Amino acid sequence: MTRHWLRVVAVAGGILLGFGVLTGSAASLSLTSQNFTPYRTCTITATPAATTAVTDTTARQGNPTTNFGALTSLTVSSGNAVNQRIYLRFDLTVCSPAIPASAIVRLATLRLYMTAAPAACRVLDLFPVTAAWVETTLTWNIEPFGTTLNNPPTGSRTGTFSVGTPAGCQNQAAGAYVVGGTVTTDVASFVAGTVTNFGWMIRDDAEGSATTRTATFAAKELGTVAQEPQLVITYVKVP
Amino acid sequence: MTMLRRVLVVILVTATGAVVGAAASLSLASGSLGAATAATPRCTSAGLSVLQNLTASTVSSVTVGVLPAACGGATLQVTVNTGVTNSSGSAVVPGGGGSVTVTIAVPPAVTASEQTDLVLVGP
Repeated sequence: MTRHWLRVVAVAGGILLGFGVLTGSAASLSLTSQNFTPYRTCTITATPAATTAVTDTTARQGNPTTNFGALTSLTVSSGNAVNQRIYLRFDLTVCSPAIPASAIVRLATLRLYMTAAPAACRVLDLFPVTAAWVETTLTWNIEPFGTTLNNPPTGSRTGTFSVGTPAGCQNQAAGAYVVGGTVTTDVASFVAGTVTNFGWMIRDDAEGSATTRTATFAAKELGTVAQEPQLVITYVKVP
Repeated sequence: MTMLRRVLVVILVTATGAVVGAAASLSLASGSLGAATAATPRCTSAGLSVLQNLTASTVSSVTVGVLPAACGGATLQVTVNTGVTNSSGSAVVPGGGGSVTVTIAVPPAVTASEQTDLVLVGP
């Protein structure tokens, strides 16, 4: 009889041991998951040239009633009555799957391909546009920020980068994407829905220069994929 | 004696059942994390720069930058999804962090928007 009970206990112990191993497996899965760092990125590229995912144009003070939305280049210029500003918007709804409003935007970078750099180092400022505009109708005279030079003021810019051939300037070489166009705060507001996405206006930090200084970038109409404007948004989803 | 045996069997079955229940709940929780639906930063919670490198209008590789030294040795898995197709690649982050370029196995054509999923496994 004692031998019989020993047998029962041994079998029961085996069963418990078996489930114990299973339990150990589950615990190790849980620990492994702690090692993941998941990020998701949406890259919006102005391609093909006729895409509506990106709209871009230039407002030119020297041609105040002419629309330049169909040009293959975008220009920022500072000069005597020849200032130029870029208007650029990326439609975030083309991201698929959609970026949730609750997502945390870790980094958003605006990328422009510079085709010609000014001979002096110029600081370019980015301002989130506060009213709707249309790529095919916008002109200097009807741009959302108005015709006053150096408006909005530098203090309200949300991003900046410098361009120009002198050594020490942030982006010296033409034929490359500029670096420094960080717009994380703006995009986070667009994603969260606290600010409406009307895109950005880019102007020279000091419009009205005595000597005209111009930086030229590829527009979506250029049709060269490797030079198209891009917005890269890296985010994490909140469970 | 027969009654005692029955009681013991009931105790054993109850005990093992409790253990199985706990294991199942752990397994489900880890499955949710593995699907990358939750933000569970391990080696960094900073913004990573992600740049697509193009070859003839296709995304041939992806360069991920601003990786901190804490991510050194981690395996970076990258999947590019264009909505039409997706392709992946992976590479090990250098010891000091920095940037790493991941070659995409089957380069997808560039479209107006691509989703790139990044997962750092380890270190």
